Amino acid sequence: MNKKITELEPSTSRKRRRDEESEAELDNDDDDSQSLSLEENFTFSDTLMALRMMRSQFPRTEKVTVQPFVLRSQLYSSLKDRTQVDMELESLRRDRVLRIFKLNTGQDDHAVMFMDDYINQIERVVKRMEDKKQDDIRVFEWFKIHVIQSKLDTSIGHQELFSLLSWGGKVREEHISQLINAGLLIRQLIDQNMYWFSIPNIGSVLKGLSQGRKEVLSFLNRRKYKEMMLVSLEKKRLRLSPLDMRFHLRDLIGSGHLKTIQTPSGLIVKIAKD
Amino acid sequence: MWKEIKEREFGNVRPNLFSSRISKSRVSSIQLSNYKEILSSHRGSVNSLQVDLTESRYLLAGASDASVAVYDIQRATDHDERNLIAKHKPLFVLNKQHEHGHKYAISSAIWYPIDTGLFVTGSYDHHINVWDTNTTQVVMNFKMPGKVYRTAMSSIARSHMLVAAGTEDVQVRLCDIASGAFAHTLSGHRDGVMSLEWSTSSEWVLITGGCDGAIRFWDIRRAGCFRVLDQSCSQFGRRQPLLLRPTTNKVTNFVRLKSSPASQSSSAKVRAHHRKSANGSALKPHTVGRISSLVKTAKQRSHPGMLSSHDRATAHYGVVTGLKVTGDGMYLLSAGSDSRLRLWDIESGCNTLVNFETTRLQSSKAIQMAVTQDSTLAFVPCMAITKVFDIWSGQTKSTFRGHYENVNCCCYNALDQELYTGGNDRQILVWSPPKFVSDETGEGKNGKAAATDDQDNWSD
Repeated sequence: MNKKITELEPSTSRKRRRDEESEAELDNDDDDSQSLSLEENFTFSDTLMALRMMRSQFPRTEKVTVQPFVLRSQLYSSLKDRTQVDMELESLRRDRVLRIFKLNTGQDDHAVMFMDDYINQIERVVKRMEDKKQDDIRVFEWFKIHVIQSKLDTSIGHQELFSLLSWGGKVREEHISQLINAGLLIRQLIDQNMYWFSIPNIGSVLKGLSQGRKEVLSFLNRRKYKEMMLVSLEKKRLRLSPLDMRFHLRDLIGSGHLKTIQTPSGLIVKIAKD
Repeated sequence: MWKEIKEREFGNVRPNLFSSRISKSRVSSIQLSNYKEILSSHRGSVNSLQVDLTESRYLLAGASDASVAVYDIQRATDHDERNLIAKHKPLFVLNKQHEHGHKYAISSAIWYPIDTGLFVTGSYDHHINVWDTNTTQVVMNFKMPGKVYRTAMSSIARSHMLVAAGTEDVQVRLCDIASGAFAHTLSGHRDGVMSLEWSTSSEWVLITGGCDGAIRFWDIRRAGCFRVLDQSCSQFGRRQPLLLRPTTNKVTNFVRLKSSPASQSSSAKVRAHHRKSANGSALKPHTVGRISSLVKTAKQRSHPGMLSSHDRATAHYGVVTGLKVTGDGMYLLSAGSDSRLRLWDIESGCNTLVNFETTRLQSSKAIQMAVTQDSTLAFVPCMAITKVFDIWSGQTKSTFRGHYENVNCCCYNALDQELYTGGNDRQILVWSPPKFVSDETGEGKNGKAAATDDQDNWSD
């Protein structure tokens, strides 16, 4: 029933979505957003709205155990002005609404996650460690209270980490190892005294991300003219990635590997030559 | 066009405004030139291009086959049959056969800023040669410890004649032409230095970009660098006018106080100030003691100028492959192998967060970018095309496709509003505002033939 309405009247469905957005009723949105095609809600006018929309469209299956996050390249493909995206992300980051993490899947990949989701993810990890009856999980509390609230960048130095954690209590080397084992910090390759902040339990999702990207690009490369209608491309299911096709398409269009061309019969997705 | 001239004549439009309007409209119509061609005699990829700063008449090109050539871009050496395309052959070519010529690829060729009597070339054979243009002889030779990636001379220098050289070695060396010796070295980078520029507002300030991703500002009169650019330190676009600034400064200072001194990028003086204030605030005494003792043992009371070598802030996530300072000396455009272009505000040292859409930038070689005189457009080589960006919005205004392989360097001639690009396909292409064919029919002895050639061949 829902699907039929959206196919016949795309404009009203978008309006309806916006009204729901303004009421902040995002739970009802789940059904709507799954059925709305990518073509209809391709571009947004505001970064925060785009972030919320894409967060609600994040696939929630059993395979994906991570709280929703949005890639920076997805934001670039959904908004016209990239400089505006960068500036709004920066101001939201400074207001502690969201956090940005550097991912290791590419040269310039960044994941944007709302602060509440990040705290939820940390709590999940802490609960799992509690169940395993590991002692001394106080360091996670210190991390949540002192480090995350004050250090808003994507990386942190060893000295600074030590000093910020010391606000909570006496810090030992084992505490830092615990943070690394839980997946909250990653040592930098080029510099041993610097750590990247990271999202715990994101490993399988990142593997799916890079494999899914390769799969979409190889699928389009094998076609005769290296292009396909967006509507039919979206319906394909990916074999290697738990994330849905819409996620990958936004990401690849934003990072410049694919480009979209407007034709009388709709949008066409094509491999970018440059 | 005639209306504009009439306005200037009547005094409605000031002459400066008139000329800037004309050049702006010409720049926006740049395309592959349909009346000018440079016949490149290089057998290797063109790595460096520079138009001379005094007359904007001679183009100096350095290539990978160790050849250097000078082209006269205002007078053509010959024309083709119908007088339509002016061909520019090199005035002279210096290659490996020259007795003191370079043996390996030339990575950088620059004119002496005061006149065209000298030019300086830096090459992968670890040498920097200073050549006399008229006799085409080497007058001075400097040996470097590694491959020379870039050389630069300050165009506004009045009291020194230093050639700054960035090599594979971590130290930046300053060579003095007047005495023939090295002046001093600047250390602080942790890997080779791939790009180098003198500031256009001060003859003492040198900006270097390293293979470690850091961009450092050096005052050559002092030891150590006085600023390291950090990509996470950002501001929104242009800085606020003076009246509003005190509040924004307070916010940024508040954020900086909480982080430890060693990891924040700021000048040595500001860092000392922070350390003092950190001691004064309510921190636990033993943690303060631990930090200051660690800091002391790590630095061992080193010179205040050398404190910056411990600053590990990076401007890019990869190698800094290109730097360009705008003509007014206020902004710096930097390109990195992470395929990002960043615009920095030099005075505040912050990233202005302007996003330039580039899919890929070449990462193994340095690239040379160009900026128009009024600092509104930037020309950047991105793989095989050259993109024109609007500097403040980051949008791509146009793309120039013409080279068959990667473009390495581009040089903007502000006098004629022309762009010259050199690439791995050994060609130097000219991009200029279009000239209408009818302008040419009056010149040369073939003028009449040209006029009749344009007509149809039917026997009506």
